[in-house]
Amino acid sequence: MKVVRLIARDELRLMLRNRVAMIAFALLVLLTLVAVASSWSHQRGMAELRARHAQAAEDAFHAQPDRHPHRVVHYGHFIFRPLGPLAAFDPGVDVFTGNSMFLEGHRQNTANFGDVRQSSLLVRFGQLTPAFVLQVVAPLLLVFLGYGALARETERGTMRLLMLQGVTRRQIVAGKLLALATVAILAALPALLGFALIAGQPGALALPMLVIALGYCVYLALWVVLILLVSALVRRSRDALLSLVALWAIAVVLLPRVAPDVASAAVPLQNRLQTDVAIARDLRRMGDSHNPDDPHFAKFKHAVLARYGVTRVEDLPVNYKGLLGVEGERLTTALFDRYAGQSYAAQARQNAIVETAAVLSPAIAIRSLSMAAAGTDFAGHRRFLEQAEAYRYALVQRLNAMQAEKVRYSDDTAEDAGADRRKRVSAANWQAMPDFTFVAPSGTALAKAALPGLAVLLAWLAVVGLLLALATRRLGAFR
Amino acid sequence: MTAVEPPILLDQLTLSYGPHRVLDALSLAVAAGSITALLGGNGAGKSTTLSVLLGFARGDAGRAAVCGIDPGTDPDGARRRIAYLPENVALYEHLTAVENADYLLALSGQRQPRGAITDALAAAGLQERAWHQRLDGFSKGMRQKVAIAVALLRAVPVLLLDEPTSGLDPRATADFNALVLQVRDRGTAVLMVTHDLLSAADVADRIAFLEAGRVRHEVLAEGPDRFDVRALHARFQAGEAQAAA
Repeated sequence: MKVVRLIARDELRLMLRNRVAMIAFALLVLLTLVAVASSWSHQRGMAELRARHAQAAEDAFHAQPDRHPHRVVHYGHFIFRPLGPLAAFDPGVDVFTGNSMFLEGHRQNTANFGDVRQSSLLVRFGQLTPAFVLQVVAPLLLVFLGYGALARETERGTMRLLMLQGVTRRQIVAGKLLALATVAILAALPALLGFALIAGQPGALALPMLVIALGYCVYLALWVVLILLVSALVRRSRDALLSLVALWAIAVVLLPRVAPDVASAAVPLQNRLQTDVAIARDLRRMGDSHNPDDPHFAKFKHAVLARYGVTRVEDLPVNYKGLLGVEGERLTTALFDRYAGQSYAAQARQNAIVETAAVLSPAIAIRSLSMAAAGTDFAGHRRFLEQAEAYRYALVQRLNAMQAEKVRYSDDTAEDAGADRRKRVSAANWQAMPDFTFVAPSGTALAKAALPGLAVLLAWLAVVGLLLALATRRLGAFR
Repeated sequence: MTAVEPPILLDQLTLSYGPHRVLDALSLAVAAGSITALLGGNGAGKSTTLSVLLGFARGDAGRAAVCGIDPGTDPDGARRRIAYLPENVALYEHLTAVENADYLLALSGQRQPRGAITDALAAAGLQERAWHQRLDGFSKGMRQKVAIAVALLRAVPVLLLDEPTSGLDPRATADFNALVLQVRDRGTAVLMVTHDLLSAADVADRIAFLEAGRVRHEVLAEGPDRFDVRALHARFQAGEAQAAA
């Protein structure tokens, strides 16, 4: 162990005496600190903004005067997705997908106002977050600091010199691993500082944070081992650097961008216009509640009259128009749910293709792990959409039921001067409506969702570690 | 190691790379406190002989031993008993002369106080102002002095030299040879592989001529069979010419 420490210490001494290496390391630390500070501030700002807007939307909804319930259905309601504390570390798809939604009757709207749509192109290129720094920049720094660890010794003949001191190949590789791992830990420290900040926040979940920390440790360890593997396989430092930069470019830059394109091509999604046209066509087929000859609604009317034992809608103890609203919303929601289900299924297949590409790129694996544990992945977004839709449906149906029970049919169909006033229900009804509360997943669920990414990273580490063990055997083999 | 076995021993050692036989029943022994120079043309097997002793190559037949240890089966054990100076001494450019010596001695488990290191550097002829300079500006001769200082401090029983005087000016060669003699006088067995007959004749107790992987001829510096440099030079040139033909 003493020899391993000596070799590690010398490797670190070499880095310390290399001005370029020190500047690069200082830049990484600075970049991470800036990323932590800016993400932290951005997340807090966004969380406060969303909370303020959500409160304003609630207040506006509750402040509606006495009015007809169906006008409230069309008045609509804005809801906002609250940000979890881990979004400061990895905002994931939140910046692209939008974070607010307008809820109204007869329609399922999509989320709006993602950061990317409101920001410059720089955000599209890559938001400066601790996750981005650790996923993209830290491996590159490790490449520049470690590419020559073994190749340089071979190239300059000092590998043989080390062996001639009675040092074994394993000790040499272990010493270099220790040195580069030390650099990786130091490089990750500022991000861990950000983690410590998050850990103190309300809603911070220990288990997903643990999985994220473990995931990034495995990811950086994988790069450390990969760098030494390449450095052991080639005889010249320059070749090691070129190979590693190429590997980094492919694994970290190219594949994570190409994989979604491949997934989109393999599983095409209908665009917004195509979906809207198809839904409109299906809605027409579904039936018209205002047409007395429409077969579905004629059957519905017959069933309602039979249930109440009357022959005319005017004789019903409830407002038939309210019942029609309930039935119409049920039908349209089922239709929208079907389209949403198809879209979710297609997106899930696309995500599966992208996640399969993690076999080729550990950067994809760590990205999946990081977003899943932070709750900012597509599943997190879908969770928000589904909860929002459930809330919308309940709200609209409650208003339709209110129309059926609190507005008389005769008033609802009347057109005299005082009819409008008679159709209104008390504003106290809106104030009694429950507010939207996003139910965040449990820490166990988030951690569990991140496990496939962790498994891929561990498999990568095992394979690369095995290859390094094999390469170590022939290290410094001379003829 | 038996009581009589020399620190460097090759006995009927044979080694082939594919169909090419590089060492052909090579036998050689270097006693403690003596210097043997191994001369030969290109491809005669000189460097391969050193590789076998260092444990970087393994013979197909015969025996190699360093202080009784087979470098083929226990290379680390053999290397702990060897100091080796290649033609181009490889040391760490980012370290000073003192740091190099300190690092290498620590690795070999023979750490020495700073005073002992500077004494050894001085004994090796390295000027004091160079002790704390990084090696990136050092000449070949200066690097050799650092390596010799490490060898002196390690007090190993075997010193292997590979073309040590190639590229050195006569003054530096003389300085180097003086150092080698100093090491020998401490009881070290020295095997020097070289093309430089004059330098070999200056320091060697015995000169062995290697040809096609086996020792064809041996001469001694002392005694009734002591060699004549002129005759050796003529013979060596003839051998080289023959090898070239």
